[in-house]
Amino acid sequence: MNELESLKKELKDLNAQYAQIRDIAPEERGKFGRELNARKMAILEKIRVAEEAALDVAVEPLDVTAPCGVNEPLPTTYSVFQGSRHPLMTELDRVVSIYQMMGFDVVESRQLDDEFHMFDSLNFAKEHPARDGYDTFRTEEGLIPPAHTSTMQHRVLKMYRDKLAQGGEIAVVVPGRVYRNEDVDATHEHTFYQCEGVYVSRDCTMGDMLGILREFFEKYYEQKLNIRTQPGYFPFTEPSLEFLIEKPKALGGKKGDYLEMLGCGMIHPNVLKMAGIDPNEYHGFAWGGGIDRLVMLRYGLMDVRHFESGDLRFLREIK
Amino acid sequence: MRISLNWLKKYVSVPVSNEDLIRLIGARLVEVEGVIDESAKYNNIYVAKVVSAEKIPDTHLTLCQIYVGDKEIDKVEKNEAGLVQVVCGAPNVHIGMLAAWIAPGAIVPVSVHEDAPFVIGKRKMLNKYDSFGMLAGADELDFGGDHSGIVEINPSEAQPGDLLSDVFELNDLILEIENKSLTHRPDCFGIIGFAREVAGILGEKFDEPEFLTEEKVFPKGFFAKWGNGIRAKKSELTVNIANPEICPRYSCAVIKVVEPTAEDKYLSEMKILLAKSGMQSVSKIVDITNYLMLLTGQPLHAFDYDKFLAVGGSEKPIVNVRLAYGGETIELLDGKEIVCVPSDILITSNDVPVAMAGAMGGKNTEIDESTNNVLLESASFSLFNLRKTQMEHGIFSEAITRFTKGVPAGGTFNVLAEAIKEINGKPLDACDAFVGWKKPQEVVVSVSEINALLGTDYSKKLIIETLSNVGFDIESSGDVLTVWAKVWRTDIHIKEDIIEEVGRLLGYDNIEPTLPRHATAEKNRMLELKSHIREIMKEYGANEVLTYSFVSERLLKKAGLDANNSYKIVNSISPDLQYVRQTIVPSLLEKAYLNQKLPVDKFAIFEVNKVYQKCWGMDDENVPVERMQMGFVVAERKTTGDAYYKAKFFAEKMLEELNIKVKFLPLRSLAADALPFENKRAAEIWTLDDQYVGVVGEFKNSVRRNFKLAEYLAGFELGVDLINQLAGIRAVKSDFEVKDQIDETVTTDKKYAEVLAEVSGKYPNAVITPVSIYQPEGASKKNITFHIEKY
Repeated sequence: MNELESLKKELKDLNAQYAQIRDIAPEERGKFGRELNARKMAILEKIRVAEEAALDVAVEPLDVTAPCGVNEPLPTTYSVFQGSRHPLMTELDRVVSIYQMMGFDVVESRQLDDEFHMFDSLNFAKEHPARDGYDTFRTEEGLIPPAHTSTMQHRVLKMYRDKLAQGGEIAVVVPGRVYRNEDVDATHEHTFYQCEGVYVSRDCTMGDMLGILREFFEKYYEQKLNIRTQPGYFPFTEPSLEFLIEKPKALGGKKGDYLEMLGCGMIHPNVLKMAGIDPNEYHGFAWGGGIDRLVMLRYGLMDVRHFESGDLRFLREIK
Repeated sequence: MRISLNWLKKYVSVPVSNEDLIRLIGARLVEVEGVIDESAKYNNIYVAKVVSAEKIPDTHLTLCQIYVGDKEIDKVEKNEAGLVQVVCGAPNVHIGMLAAWIAPGAIVPVSVHEDAPFVIGKRKMLNKYDSFGMLAGADELDFGGDHSGIVEINPSEAQPGDLLSDVFELNDLILEIENKSLTHRPDCFGIIGFAREVAGILGEKFDEPEFLTEEKVFPKGFFAKWGNGIRAKKSELTVNIANPEICPRYSCAVIKVVEPTAEDKYLSEMKILLAKSGMQSVSKIVDITNYLMLLTGQPLHAFDYDKFLAVGGSEKPIVNVRLAYGGETIELLDGKEIVCVPSDILITSNDVPVAMAGAMGGKNTEIDESTNNVLLESASFSLFNLRKTQMEHGIFSEAITRFTKGVPAGGTFNVLAEAIKEINGKPLDACDAFVGWKKPQEVVVSVSEINALLGTDYSKKLIIETLSNVGFDIESSGDVLTVWAKVWRTDIHIKEDIIEEVGRLLGYDNIEPTLPRHATAEKNRMLELKSHIREIMKEYGANEVLTYSFVSERLLKKAGLDANNSYKIVNSISPDLQYVRQTIVPSLLEKAYLNQKLPVDKFAIFEVNKVYQKCWGMDDENVPVERMQMGFVVAERKTTGDAYYKAKFFAEKMLEELNIKVKFLPLRSLAADALPFENKRAAEIWTLDDQYVGVVGEFKNSVRRNFKLAEYLAGFELGVDLINQLAGIRAVKSDFEVKDQIDETVTTDKKYAEVLAEVSGKYPNAVITPVSIYQPEGASKKNITFHIEKY
C-alpha cells in the first residue's frame, strides 16, 4: 500500500470514530469533537501534500538543451503590437534622463532599509512624532520598506562627498519604490514611486533650488510653467517647502489651479554633518516627489490603482 | 485644525482681501487644505421676541406669536399686530425671551453642506395651526449638539429683527489647516500664534495681548518662592514632578467657582467659537478651558477639587506628576477604562491616578453641576511620551494634538492666570512648579549668510523689521545679528531656523529662480540595461507589469516557497501584503491568472525589480542584501505542446541581444527562484564560463494547479545584477560568406546540446541555428537540422 492509500484509510477510520460521540458524556463531547477535527485536518493536509507529489511525479521529462520539442515547430515571440513597457517605468526613465541632462547622476533607491537611513540620519529625533507622519511598515527585525527616497540621502552624500573636496558639487537624483501604510483608493497607493534630488556645493542658494525644479517640470511637461511654494516641515531640511506648479494648460489646467508636486528645502546642517560634510563650508538642497501623480497627470489617468493591477487591458492600451 | 477668519481678525488687522489673505497664509505659513464658506450659512435667520406662548393641549407643542421687527419678510404672513405665528416644540420657550428664528425659505444651518439642505417653509401643524419657519436650537444652528431647547439670546446684545449673523459675526470663512506642516510650531496651534504670523506675513508689527507677557490676576504678594518655582504664601499645595523630562513645568491653582449667573444661559460668542473650531460646548468651566486652548495653544484641565482630595484621601492636596506603573488602570472622562503602559504620564492625587496627563482627565475628578471648587492645571508635558500614549491608546483629543507638538513650558502660568480671570473665580491657592524649563537660547546669524542661503538681496533693515514683527528680539552689530526668540518659539535653535523665518515671512515666491553650475552626469548602467530589457521584451510582444513588493503567505506556499525565508511585515495592511517577496515569478503567476480569466488567450508578462531573501544575509551597511531580478511568465489558453521551449526562446534571444551566451543545464537548485519550477521540464541557465544566471522552465503541476492556470505555461527568473556585469554590445555581423544546411540523425535520448557541440566542432567560427527536430512515426532515431552561416 502506498502512502496516499494508507492516508486515505486512516481518514476513513477516523471518520468512523465520529459515531462514538453518542457514547460520550455530553460535557466531554466538545473536547472529543475538537480533537477529532484536529486530527482530521492534519490527515487532510498530508493527503493534499501526497496528492501534489503524485501529480508532480507523473511528469514527462524533456530535453532542456533543445530549441523545440521533437516534431514541434520552433518557438516564436509574439507580435510587437501586443508588447508594452509599463508607463511608470517609461516615465521614470524620462524623468531621470531630464535630470541627467541637467548634470545629475543617478542612484537607485533601496526597497528595504533600516531606521538609521530612514529617520536617524535625516535628523528625526528618536521617538519624534514627525516619524508618525510617514506611516511606515516595519519587519519583525525592525527593518523599514522606505516611505521616502530620502532614505538614500545619507548614502549619496557620503558616496559623492569627495567631489566637494575636488572643487565640484554633489548632484544626484534617486528614483525608487516607496511604501506607506495607507488604504488604497483611486488616489492613494501603499506602493508608489518617488524621485529624490540632492545638490550640495559651496555657494548654492534656495533660488537655485527653485530654478532647477522649475526647469525640470518645464522640460517634463514641455511648456513654460508658473510655480509657487508653500512652507512645509521636514526635519531634514531647513527651511522646508512644498513646491507647486500651475496645472499645464495642455492637460486641462485653469489659471490659479496649482498642484503640489513635491517637498523640498535646504539640507539641514545636521544631515550634512552626519554624512561628514562641514555645513559651515557647504550647503545644499534636496527634494522628493511622487512619480505616479506626475504620470497620471500626463496621461490623464484618474485611478492610481491601474499601475500595479497587472491588467493587460490597461497595459496594452497605454503603452 | 480649523481657524475662523473673523476670530483671527480680532487679533490682527488685515488690510487685504480674504482671497489674498488665504493665498498669503498658504504661501508663507501653512498649507490651507480647504476653506469652509459660512458667508451665506446664516442668511435669513433673525432675532425674534416671543410675545405670546400658549401650550397646545395634549401635545408638547407651544403656539407662539413672535415679533421679528417691522421689516417685510418674504413668504411670511404677519397678523394685524405685526406678529408671526410659529409652533415650537422646545420646553424652554417662554414669553419675553429673544430667540433665533429661521425664516421660511431659509436653510437650516446644520444641513447647509448636506446634499439636500433642509429648508423650513410654511407648515400646517396638527392640521390647524399655521407655522412660519422655526425657532432654532443650538444643534440646528450648528453651534453644537445641545438639543435640550431653543437658544436664548441676551437682550442686551440684540434687538428683534436683527440678523443673527450680524449679532454674532457669523458671516465667516473657516480655514482647514493641514496640521502636519506645523509639526514644529506648537505656537501656531492657537489663534493668537496664528495671528502673530499673519501680522508678520503682512509686514505689520504684532500687537501682543498683554496677558501673555504680564500676569495681573493674582494680587500682589500672593506668591512666595518655592523650590525652583513659586507657590501661594501659606499654600497647602504640593506638586511633585517625578522627572523633568516628562514635565518641565506644572502650573495649577485652586479656584472657588462663582455661582451661575442669569447670563450663563444665553447663547455666547464663546460657544459659537468653540463650535466653529469643531468643539462641543460642555459646561461653563470646561468651555473656558477649551476656548483658551484654541486661543493660546495651551491646553488646560479642570479637576473637581473636592473630589480630587477625596480620591487621594489626603488632608492637603498632593499633585504628583509621574510615569504610570505598568498595568495601572484609570477610567477616563469618555468612560473608557485604560490600562496604562509605563510611558504614559499620570497626574495623581496622593498617588491615585486622576488624569492621563495631556490626553484626558479621569472620571473620578470630573466637574459637574455641584462642583464648588476646581483645581485648574496648565502644564507642559513631553511630546515623546504623549506620542506613545496617543499611539498606544488611540486618543486623539484636541489637547493631545497640541501636546504632541511640544507645548512650550514658557507660557503655562500666564494662560492659567487668564483662565482664572475668564472664570471670574477667586484663586484660593496656586503653585507654579518648574524643574526642567530652559529659556530659548540666542542665535547668531549674519545678513550675508541669510542672503547667501536664500539667494536674495534683503537689507539688514528689512530683515530686522521682519523678525521683530513676530516678536524676535534682535541686537545687531555690523552685518551680524544676535536673535532671541520669545518663550513660545521652541523651534528656534540654529541660524538656519532664522533664515527660514526671513525667507518664509518675506515669501519664498519672491526669490528669483536661478540655475547653479553643473558638471556632466555619469551613466547609470543598471537603469540603461533595464530600459534596454524593456525595449527588447516589448519588441517580442511581452508586457511589462509592476506587482507589489509584499506578498501573502498563501502566495508563497502556492509557488512552493518557504515564508520563513521572507522578511515579515509586522504592521501590514492585510495578510495579502505580509511578506517581502523573495522572487518575482510568484507575483507574475498571480497576475497571469487574472489575465487568463479575462480572458486574454496568449500573453507573456515580465517584471524587473528588487527582491530580498533572509538567507542572503546582510551587506556591508548591515541592511539586507538586495538583488535585482527579472521574472517572466508566458501563458496560453487552448494551446498544447511544450511551453518550456517558448520561455527558453524568450530568455535565450533576450540574452543574445545583450551579448550574453548561455547554456542550459538540468535543474538541481533548491534556491527560492527554482522552487516553483518542475525539475524534469526546467533548466538552470549558466554562462559559458559557469556563472549562474537563473532558471527557466515549466512549473510544477501542483504550482500550476494552485494558481488555476491553463496547461501551456512556463517562465523564467534571472539575476539582473549579473546580466548587468556581462551585458555588452552585440557585434553586428558582416556579410555572410557561406550558407549551409545540415542534418544530423541521432538516437532519441541524445541531448540536443551534445549534437550541437559536435556540429560546432565541425564548423568552427560559424553561427549555427536550429531549423527543426523531426522524428518520423515509429522511428527510433531523430533528425536534427541546422542552419550554418560562416563568415
